[in-house]
Amino acid sequence: MSLDQKIINWARRKSPWIVHFNAGACNGCDIEVIDALTPRFDLERFGIMQKGTPRHGDILVVTGAVTMQTRDRLIRTYEQMPEPKFVVAIGACACTGGVFDGCYCVCGGVNEIIPVDAYIPGCAARPEAIIDAVVKLLSTIK
Amino acid sequence: MSIFYLLVFPGFLFLSALGLFMEYFDRKVYARMQNRVGPPWYQPLADIIKLVSKETIIPYDTNKKMFAALPVIALAAATTAIFYIPIWSSHALFSFTGDIIVVLYLLTIPTLTFFLAGWNSNSLFAGIGAVRNLTQLFSYEVPLYMGLLAPAFLASSWSLSEISQFYTTHPLLILLNIPAFIVCIIAVQGKLERVPFDIPDAETEIVAGSFTEYSGRYFAIFRMALDTELVVAATLLAAVFIPVFVANPFISFLIYLAKVFVIIFILAIFRSVMARIRMEQMVKFCWRYLAPLALAQIIINILIKGVLPL
Ligand code: SF4
Repeated sequence: MSLDQKIINWARRKSPWIVHFNAGACNGCDIEVIDALTPRFDLERFGIMQKGTPRHGDILVVTGAVTMQTRDRLIRTYEQMPEPKFVVAIGACACTGGVFDGCYCVCGGVNEIIPVDAYIPGCAARPEAIIDAVVKLLSTIK
Repeated sequence: MSIFYLLVFPGFLFLSALGLFMEYFDRKVYARMQNRVGPPWYQPLADIIKLVSKETIIPYDTNKKMFAALPVIALAAATTAIFYIPIWSSHALFSFTGDIIVVLYLLTIPTLTFFLAGWNSNSLFAGIGAVRNLTQLFSYEVPLYMGLLAPAFLASSWSLSEISQFYTTHPLLILLNIPAFIVCIIAVQGKLERVPFDIPDAETEIVAGSFTEYSGRYFAIFRMALDTELVVAATLLAAVFIPVFVANPFISFLIYLAKVFVIIFILAIFRSVMARIRMEQMVKFCWRYLAPLALAQIIINILIKGVLPL
């Protein structure tokens, strides 16, 4: 690997900016995501910052099962993010559809719509688990 | 030699390095005030490298040339302003009568490019951010100009180098300008769009303001421009209000760094103890309290100039 690629990978590992998308969660997982961003867990240690616009994001954090309403919005948000981008599915619902699987308005887990790089199970996923997953995902960038 | 000044010291390279470090310092102080550990020292550098290496998206119905040129103009304007400000001695690299006005205008150009960037992006959020940018400009700009011109009245000069020389020979008169210094610190906070005046890029209301559509390398240049502007504004305040220079240029340079640290520390404390205010509250505050305070400072300085044999 050339030196500039090494530097770029280092920078990508050190500065992941996340965009949070609620695809139809019951709000439990959303609160845990917000929790993880509070001063108590201090995600800025890893360079993680929350950004409002998908144009600035590197990691799309999706919570909840994808409903028919949010399906198109999820795809649109995903496509507006510049490459390279990663998707993290947080909570049992986002991983597989969870308790909402099979509902008349639910399309299923996030991976049925867009490619997912990391799954964090749990109902709701703990902030520690979220941080651990993001750090593990980052260590795979080589 | 001019190329060296422009690109290496005290131009682009030096300002970028100091700007990135100051961004780290600012974020670290902010984190410590919230009882956090905060980012590591290389964080702003990693952010910039990552942004540069990312894909750059230009929205379909924007003017592409303007979209690409605006960040560069912002960075160039902020960098150019440093040449007229005294750094390591009371003589700036270049100086002429009236350069204080030129510096202030050069520091206004980034704000105008933010406005144009938001307006050109053709996005709703960016449009609102752009309008807020301009509204904010009208509220802090007048107090800032008056606050910076008050010391110039006392020194009877419109050149930053001569103002610095005047206060080096009359150090006690610095104390007179403390109200103007307070006005300028608050106004600079508004100019740099930091809390409590981060109304144009309030991420809880209008996602990222003017920068909503910017991504990749253009956004990286905008971030660099903001960092540079932070350093240049701190340098300007240091040169006008804390003109402490010694004969040895190296020691003088260290004193300069200390002054910039102190000013950015004050700005960071400001940022961490306050919350965002609304647009009309800001306009009211600036025109009702800051502008009269700056005006009073000018009148006091003119009166003192009549009394003291200067
Ligand atoms: S995993 Fe549990 S907490 Fe999270 S969205 Fe689904 S039901 Fe709610």
